[in-house]
Formats: sequence, structure tokens, C-alpha cells
Amino acid sequence: MMKMILSLAAGTILSSAAFAADAKRGQELFIKAGCYQCHGTVGQGANTGPRLGPDPLALESFISFVRNAASTNMPPYSAKILSDAEMADIHTYLASVPKPPARKDIPLLNNK
Amino acid sequence: MGKPENGVNRRNFLTVAAASGAAAVTAPTGINEAKAVPSIARIAPPSAAEMEAEIGEARLLPAAVTSVGPNARPGSDFMVDVLRALDIEYVATNPASSCRGLHESINNYAMNKKPELLTATHEEIATAMAHGYAKVSNRPMGLLFHGTVGIQHATMAFYNAWADRAPMLIMSGNHLDAAHRPPGVPTTHAAQDPLALIRDFTKWDDQPQSLQACAEALFRAYKITMTPPYGPVAISLDAHLQEGFTENDLKIPKMTRVSAPSADMDTLKEVARMLVDAQNPVIVVDRGSRSHRFQPLLVELAQLLGAPVVDQLGRQNFPSRHPLNATDRARGVIGNADVILGLELADFWGIVNSYSDVAQPKQGRRLKDSVKLVSINSRDVFMKANYQDFQRFQDVDLALAADAEASLPGLIEMVKSATTPEHKAAAEKRTAAAGAAAAKNLEKLLSEDAVYGWDASPISTARLSAELWAAIKEHEWALVSRDARLSNWPHRMWNFDKHYHFIGDSGGAGQGYGLGAAVGAALAHREHKRLVVNVQGDGDMMYGPGGIWTAAHHNIPLLTVMHNNRAYHQEIMHVQRVGNWRDRGLGRANIGTTLENPHINFAMMAKSMGVEGIGPIGDPKELAPALKRAVQIAKAGEPVLVDVLTQPR
Repeated sequence: MMKMILSLAAGTILSSAAFAADAKRGQELFIKAGCYQCHGTVGQGANTGPRLGPDPLALESFISFVRNAASTNMPPYSAKILSDAEMADIHTYLASVPKPPARKDIPLLNNK
Repeated sequence: MGKPENGVNRRNFLTVAAASGAAAVTAPTGINEAKAVPSIARIAPPSAAEMEAEIGEARLLPAAVTSVGPNARPGSDFMVDVLRALDIEYVATNPASSCRGLHESINNYAMNKKPELLTATHEEIATAMAHGYAKVSNRPMGLLFHGTVGIQHATMAFYNAWADRAPMLIMSGNHLDAAHRPPGVPTTHAAQDPLALIRDFTKWDDQPQSLQACAEALFRAYKITMTPPYGPVAISLDAHLQEGFTENDLKIPKMTRVSAPSADMDTLKEVARMLVDAQNPVIVVDRGSRSHRFQPLLVELAQLLGAPVVDQLGRQNFPSRHPLNATDRARGVIGNADVILGLELADFWGIVNSYSDVAQPKQGRRLKDSVKLVSINSRDVFMKANYQDFQRFQDVDLALAADAEASLPGLIEMVKSATTPEHKAAAEKRTAAAGAAAAKNLEKLLSEDAVYGWDASPISTARLSAELWAAIKEHEWALVSRDARLSNWPHRMWNFDKHYHFIGDSGGAGQGYGLGAAVGAALAHREHKRLVVNVQGDGDMMYGPGGIWTAAHHNIPLLTVMHNNRAYHQEIMHVQRVGNWRDRGLGRANIGTTLENPHINFAMMAKSMGVEGIGPIGDPKELAPALKRAVQIAKAGEPVLVDVLTQPR
């Protein structure tokens, strides 16, 4: 129930904030807020945190997860640390990350 | 006993010489003092009887000190003979005055051959070298340090070796006799009990007071360090034993062959029954492998049972591409198990329970209620109380205080005896299912995980691992660093199937292990002409960069690839985590945790110590040619370093 309320609240705020979401600012925030420490600078994921881009969760779910990450090992980010508008910027950045090449086009990943 | 010569026998001669020497050292050089020296000489030295009555012959005049006759030999020459009898090939040292007797004997009596001295720029590096060397060669390296400051320098590295069960023979100098030791620094460096500092994380120590006792102490130490569970042992070699002389006929003990503690057959039969009857048996292994014998045994056992193997990667335990390797699917297979066999686990509790590092930590059990747990662990034979490397207590159904490698042959025989055709069919079915799951998992890893960030700069750990694999796979190679900080990509991509392919990590998680251990491991690999790869963290490197020089000085071929993420990233995440809990923001998590401003140029650092340095490389397209060149240099027998700017993990 709480998650639903938070998701709805986030959606309400972001419906206006998302207009101004900016990928470049989002990239800066992604680094400054330390997201890259666990998820990599392009959100590619690592053994410390899952992949986030270039197809992140829907914005509302994304914010809800970050605010309520207590069910995982991820530290929660309150609105005081990252506002919804800033989260929208980060989300835009993650969505802007170019899609990777397919494995079949990377010879090194077809090595035995 | 020498005859009296001019009224002074040999024993007294040394005493006189010592007294005169003391006078010469302490007498001021002013002209008036020239008259003072004879006045000292006029004082008759105490007779042997008087000395014995005063402080006891055994204390003042041990066998080593008493003679300078034609058959006399330095006590430390005898110590070299003992080290040779123990087949100690190398002694790593940072030179120390309290060890000068043995140092000189290795130089001029042994002619620096068996043992050969290895020069390290810090005792912590020397100890890490011994640590890495032991895990490749299955032999202890000798270490020769100052008894106080040297041991203090090396302490953390000893703890790593203790936690990681690495054998090594620590030797330290001391000047115990307050009445005869030099004043000033040697006295500052002397101690009543110099090895007390490390007693909590060494298996045994001694401070022998005669050369005969010294030989026996070294042999006992060797036996203890090489009896599983392996661990460091330490002997304090007093300077008066090293620097004195002996013409006594001293005995060097014979080498003792040791047998590892093995589980009894009745208990192994019970374990076999549990495993064979299980529907979902799982094997979890950590520091199982001590030698080339272990991996084939574990493969045989896993295949007989059709049991997935979860490798904690404490050693090269199980082939990375074996269909039963379930390391990447650990949580699932452990949660589904009805019998779990733990082999030499450092932390059984942590494997079968969860712990969330959140503001209100949460713990949980990962197991079915009906699961049976069996442990075979030599640590149960020997542990100490203070430091908590034995981890949290895990109750199990059956704990065998025994060495896994020594116990596997008996367990395999018992499993074979208990296996029916129905059991065999079930095992084959499980093996097929595990193989399919492993293949599916690998496909996902490569297609859905490795490709992301492929062209990123800093370079992704998947890209680095793939490029490195392409560069080394045609050679006989060995990875001498842990790959957890590379998101385990090497163990996902590379074909680890030889016993020498991997040696695990530091054990105690003390920083400063990486480079030294890599140099020591590379030394052990050198005679086999293997291409030795060390993926080196930048933070760890800065604890002991002098290892680069040691590799160059001793012509130890080693390919070091810097995982240069310019931070202590683990610690950034910790500070960030607490900042989030306290809702205080993230802007300052970099303070005290990053290695920036200025950036460290590791290629230049390598060059400054006579090692070819390549990089820094931030463009992934430049990686392949750089690694190709580096491999050529390493294969030509030299150390080389490639500085790669990398993603955090």
C-alpha cells in the first residue's frame, strides 16, 4: 500500500518535472550521487548492482524503488538527497545510453 | 674446551674480547681517556665458574658463542645448513641488523643459493610474496626480519596468511641479553617476547637459546606450518646465536613427512550415505585445494553424485566450465538443497544465511527446513580465540575435523560403494539439468550483461576481462589475483581447469596483499614458464608498490594489469550507504576514499623501477595492442605493467 502511495505521489510530481528532464544533468547527478559506484558509469551493472540502462524501469517505478530500497542491500535515497526532478534527470540519462552491440557482433564474446 | 692460553682459556678469551670491545665502543676518544683503557683491562674478567654462578652457563655461554678455534664455525652457518635440510629455496628479507649474522651466512656461506635472498622494500611485501609463493608451490618460503620493527611492519600480512591458511617460516632477529647487546637502536629493537605480537595468528613460535634448540625449533616449525591447516610459524633467532661460533657436533634432525588429518572411514561412510540418498545434494568449497590432487577428486565426487558445486574461489577448486559448476547460481542451488557438503569453508554461516547491510540489519536463513549440513574442515583441528576469522558459528548435522583433500579419496570410495544404478541414473539426470542451467546462465551473462558498457570509458570490467582472455588463452597462464572486483568476469569467461590457474585471495582482506602475493606467486611459476597475470587494484598497489622493484631486481616475469578505478570503491560505497541512512546527502562520499587530484600514473611508477609501463589506457580500442605487447614482454621473462582506467566494478 505504501509503495502504491509513493508511486502515485511520484507520478504526480513527475508529470510536470519530466518535461524538464535533462540527460546531461542526469549524467552529472548519476556520478555525483554515487549511483555509478555500484551500477557503472553508463548503468551497465556489476556484481554490486544490476543494470539500469538503456531501458530503465518506468519512471514511477524507478523512483519508488530508489525511495524504498530498504528491502534490498541498496541504500534508500530520500527526496532530500535526490529530488524527484533530479531522479527524472537520471532516468532520462539512463534512457539515453546507446544500446550496446549484439553479442554476435563482438568476436571477443564468442571466444572459447 | 680450549686449553688455557696465557692464562686465558678460549671461553675467557671471548669474554675478555667482549669486555675490551665494550670498552672500545664506550670509551670516549679524548686524549685523557687513553689511560683509562688499561685500567679497564686490569680488571680481571670473571672466571667461567664465577659467570656460571652469576647468571648460569647455559644463559651466557651457549654452544655457539664459546670458541674461535680452527674448527669453529659461525652459528648462522649452521642455521643455513638447517634451512638447506628443510629445502627452503628462498628467504625474503628487508635487511635488519639483528639478522646480520644469518644474512651474511646466506651471502657468503651459502653463496646466496638455497636459500636465495629476495630483497623486499617492506616486510609486508615480503610476507605477501611468501603467501603467494606458498599457494603455487605448496612450499614455505623463509622470511628474515627485525624482531620488533620488522615483525610490526609485517603483522597485517601475517594475518592474511593465517586467515588464508598459507604456510611460511618467519625468522626474526633479537638481542635478548641485556648485559651484552649493543646499546641504542639494537636495544630499542630488542624484546623479551618479540613474537607475542603475532601469536594470535601464527600456529606456533619459539625463541631457542642454543643452536641445537634452534635446529629443532626450525624443524618443528616446518612440520607445523606444513601440517593442514597450514599457517605461518615464527622463530626468533637471537643475534648471539647467529654471530657466535661453535665447534660442537650439532645434530640436524631428519625431515619429517607429515600426513594431513583425514576423516575416519566410518564417518565418511555415513556422509556418503547422506549424499547418495539426497535428491538435491550440493557441494560448497572454499579453500579445498592444497595441491594438484584436489581438483580431480572433487570433479569425480561431484560427477558421482550429480551434485552442483558452488565454488567460493578460495583456491582453484573446480573447473569453471564444468557443467556442475553452479557458482553463479549459488543462491538457487543452496536454497533447493537437501544435503550440503561444505569443504574447507571459511564461512559456512554466511553461505547458508543472508545478511542485509541496511540501517536495521536483517538476517535470514536460505535453506529448506529439512536440509542436512555436513562440514569437512581442518580449521576445526586448530583455531584460536581472539581474531574472528573463524566467522559466526553454524550448527551442522555432522562436522568432520579433517582435511578435505586428504579425506576425499575415502569419501569417493564410500560413495561408489553406496551408489546403486538408480542413484547413478538420478545423478546423471541432475548433471544434465545442471549443465543446461549453466549454459543458459552463461548465454545470459554474455548476451545480456557483458555487452552493456562494452565501448565505455572508463573501460568495463567485462571488456577488460574479455580482452585479457584473448591475449593470454593460447599460453600456459595463471591468474594470481582475485577477480571479485572485476565482477567475477574472468571466472565467467575464462576456462579455469588447471590446478595452477588460480590461487584465491588474501584471506584476511588486508590491503597490500595483491602485488606482493603476485610477485611471490610469479616466482613459483617461473620455473614452469607460465604467463602469470595479476589484475591489480590501485588502492592495494599503493600500500606496497615496491613489489614492482623486487620483480625487476629478481627477474620475475609478471604481467600486471592495473584495475585503476581511482578510488577505494568499496569504502566509497560504505560511506555513501551510511550517509543515505542518515539522510545527509552524498556530495562528500569522495572525501577520504578517492585516489584523484592528482591521478596516479602507474605506468610511470613502473618505469621508475625498471619495469616497462604501458598506459594509462582509457579507450577500450587501445587495450588489445597494449596487452599483446605486454604479453610479449612477460613471455620474454620480464615484469610489465599495463595501466588501465576502469569502471568501479
